[in-house]
Amino acid sequence: MIYAILRRFGQMLFVMFGISVIVFLIFFATPGSDPAARIAGRNASPEVLEAVRHSFGFDRPLYVQYGLMMQKIFVTGDLTSFVNRGWKVVPAVLDAIPVTLSLVFGAAILWVVVSVIIGIVAAATRDSWLDKLLMALGLIGISMPVYWLGEVMNLITQSRYHDTWLFSWVPPLGYKPLMSDPKGWFLTLVIPWITLAVLYIGIYGRVLRAAIIESMQEDFIRTARAKGLSETRILLRHALRTSLIAFVTLFGLDFGALVGGSALLTEVVFGLNGIGKLTYDAMQNLDLPMIMATVMYASMFVVIANAVVDFVYILLDPRVRTS
Amino acid sequence: MKKLLLTASAVTLLASASLAPAKAEYLQEHRGGTMRLLARSAAGTLDPHINYTDQGWQMYQPIYDGLVAFRKAEGMDGFTIVPDLAEALPEVSNDGKTFTFKLRKGVMFSTGQEVGVKDVVASFQRIFKVSGPTSGTFYAGIVGADKCLADTKSCTLEGGVVGDEAAGTVTINIVKPDAEFLYKLALPHAVTLPADTPAEDAGSVPIPSTGPYMISAFDPNKGMTVSRNPHYKQWSAEAQPDGYPDVVQYDFGLSEEAAVTAIQNGEADWMFDALPSDRLAELGTKYKDQLHIAPLSAWWYAPLNTRLAPFDNVKARQAVAFAIDRNTLVKLFGGKVLASPVCQVLPPDFPGHVDYCPYTKNPGAKWSAPDLEKAKQLVEESGTKGQKVTIIVEDTAVSRSIGVYLQSVLTSIGYVADVKPISANIQFTYIQNTNNKVQMSVTQWYKDYPAASDFLHILFGCASFREGSDASINIAGFCDAKIDEKMQKALDLGVTDQVAADAMWAEIDREVTDQAPAVGLFTPKRLDFVSKRLGNFQFNRQFNWMITQSWVQ
Repeated sequence: MIYAILRRFGQMLFVMFGISVIVFLIFFATPGSDPAARIAGRNASPEVLEAVRHSFGFDRPLYVQYGLMMQKIFVTGDLTSFVNRGWKVVPAVLDAIPVTLSLVFGAAILWVVVSVIIGIVAAATRDSWLDKLLMALGLIGISMPVYWLGEVMNLITQSRYHDTWLFSWVPPLGYKPLMSDPKGWFLTLVIPWITLAVLYIGIYGRVLRAAIIESMQEDFIRTARAKGLSETRILLRHALRTSLIAFVTLFGLDFGALVGGSALLTEVVFGLNGIGKLTYDAMQNLDLPMIMATVMYASMFVVIANAVVDFVYILLDPRVRTS
Repeated sequence: MKKLLLTASAVTLLASASLAPAKAEYLQEHRGGTMRLLARSAAGTLDPHINYTDQGWQMYQPIYDGLVAFRKAEGMDGFTIVPDLAEALPEVSNDGKTFTFKLRKGVMFSTGQEVGVKDVVASFQRIFKVSGPTSGTFYAGIVGADKCLADTKSCTLEGGVVGDEAAGTVTINIVKPDAEFLYKLALPHAVTLPADTPAEDAGSVPIPSTGPYMISAFDPNKGMTVSRNPHYKQWSAEAQPDGYPDVVQYDFGLSEEAAVTAIQNGEADWMFDALPSDRLAELGTKYKDQLHIAPLSAWWYAPLNTRLAPFDNVKARQAVAFAIDRNTLVKLFGGKVLASPVCQVLPPDFPGHVDYCPYTKNPGAKWSAPDLEKAKQLVEESGTKGQKVTIIVEDTAVSRSIGVYLQSVLTSIGYVADVKPISANIQFTYIQNTNNKVQMSVTQWYKDYPAASDFLHILFGCASFREGSDASINIAGFCDAKIDEKMQKALDLGVTDQVAADAMWAEIDREVTDQAPAVGLFTPKRLDFVSKRLGNFQFNRQFNWMITQSWVQ
């Protein structure tokens, strides 16, 4: 067990090192990105440019700059933004985590519950009109890009039908903290949750349906039937359980990536100041320290989420346990 | 009919003049409330000595003060310099090289400390200590600035900025007379901060202020709260008038689309970013009363690299200037309401501007139509026909469409043109660096202060060209010894005779335009969309909308 954890940890370090080097090099290799010129401002004189270059350490070799940046992120935690100077990026990322977690957790609950129901119903009513309808709806959900759906949702709930009874409850865009305003928190997140979940409901519903149908043909299902178990029990206790393995693998990857910042477009569209929006703004401004911090955070999360998935396998699948 | 309208409007004007209550009454009636402003993102550091953005400068107006200020008045009156922390405009002596300011008594920082001579002196040193973006340009003329630029830490500006505590005066000596010096002192980069302000970029920590407001909270990922400075007492309505709202809440993060909707719903009062063009029609019809249009002192232009083929040939450059249909560009930018065509450098009603347009069908004062025949002929004469030209534009919708249009123009006059949109975040620095070998690009320049040199000398002066640097604002690489000399003369002349100097700048404007190191495309206008409840909207030509001079209740 300890070995497994250590191996995971080693993997994480390796991934983070690789990604950080790539991000760092791409930044400095980009023409027009000279951070000193950007910091010094338009029409800065050469003296000022030099002073800025020196005070930010841009005149030192790249590997030294890289080392210092890593030290400031992981050891001292006082790396500051190039754009909003004096703004510490590590606390900024930590500060943004609750927003992203609120968004992704809520959406995840929604998409897991709905897609499991859809998957089971579609599998149980295989080839009926209901199955076909659900799968068609799922396909539509998958096909709608989240930024488009988000803008349309905004157009409907904030603009065109904002003053009708249907959507007058929708508060202005932006995040409200759970602790100080639980009702506001819930209301502002309802539309973003739905928007983010739609895509995943479509994917997961289809995946689960296919997995259930496949496992219904397995030997152990036949055994269960031979034992005289009811069809419902077979479906829910035996077929569904093994089918969840593919579901959980997908979920782990998606959830990790989303918490890591892949909910970027949803956050931007709905004005939620989470990790994704931090990343987006940092990219917009070419703010290397912030890009680095969010990317490090994201890669850490993806690796951790994968480790959790592996652990859940053990709980779900008896075959993994024995081997 | 026209006459009738005129008299009618004159009557209403008279009536409103006599009925308009004094400002004091307005203040009583409308004072208070929270105004909510929106922007896509924060404007960078809070430090007024460093921040060099329109967004930051506009917000600093009711917060910080320098010795002098641009008048807080509507329209062109905003270009006038008035005394602010100084009691009066300075006494100028020593052939225009010494400025003596008498400091006003009783002005307080938001900490409760009185503004003293030492604060002013320390603030000038601080401009250099923090390597302010303009320390090497605007303020490099102060005596002792050269030492400060060479070694920022030990900066004293000895002999340059001298305080006399007993007399309450500050004397500033400059190396050579500078007609624009007071403008430079009125910019946020020269405001007075407490003497004990750390000599480093304050970043996201607000610095105590002198104006009616202070920054009370700031998070670049959330927003900025600006509230009343409890120690403020109005000392000059021209320089620093009291404001209406109690709190200005400036929230960051909503997209432009969402911000427009929020203002429509009355959830916000104003947005900083440009209005998305797909909403303009809707706003123009349904929300006409909430829109305000104002001219800007700015230009959109296409620098042509005078050091690279084919535009190292003046005829090739002129050909492009003749061929471009400015009306098409105006349309691409959003129509006649949002822009007007130009072909010279200095923007309309800017000091030194005299209408001039050689690059049109019937050359004269104004642009009328492109002259393709002339353009083709010039390309032939220049012998550059068939050469390859790459146009570098920002990857925003407007710039990209302008780029594609320019590509078609270049193709039609005989070049093999290509357009390359690159990220708006790096385009401006990318096109400046000679290493990137940019032949043609599209960019914008907004004035710092109302002086012709801010366009001509900065954008086309030899000193602004620096090889291999991302900070080389003379993008065209244009350096004409004769014109450069004339610019120096005009700068010197301005000290004694601004009117004659402006006439000289008008000549320089013509000469630069004739050389076509850049093609003027159009002058943009500012479109402000405000909430229904917002009243008393006033647009100042120097720093745009005066935020706290509007009320929300």
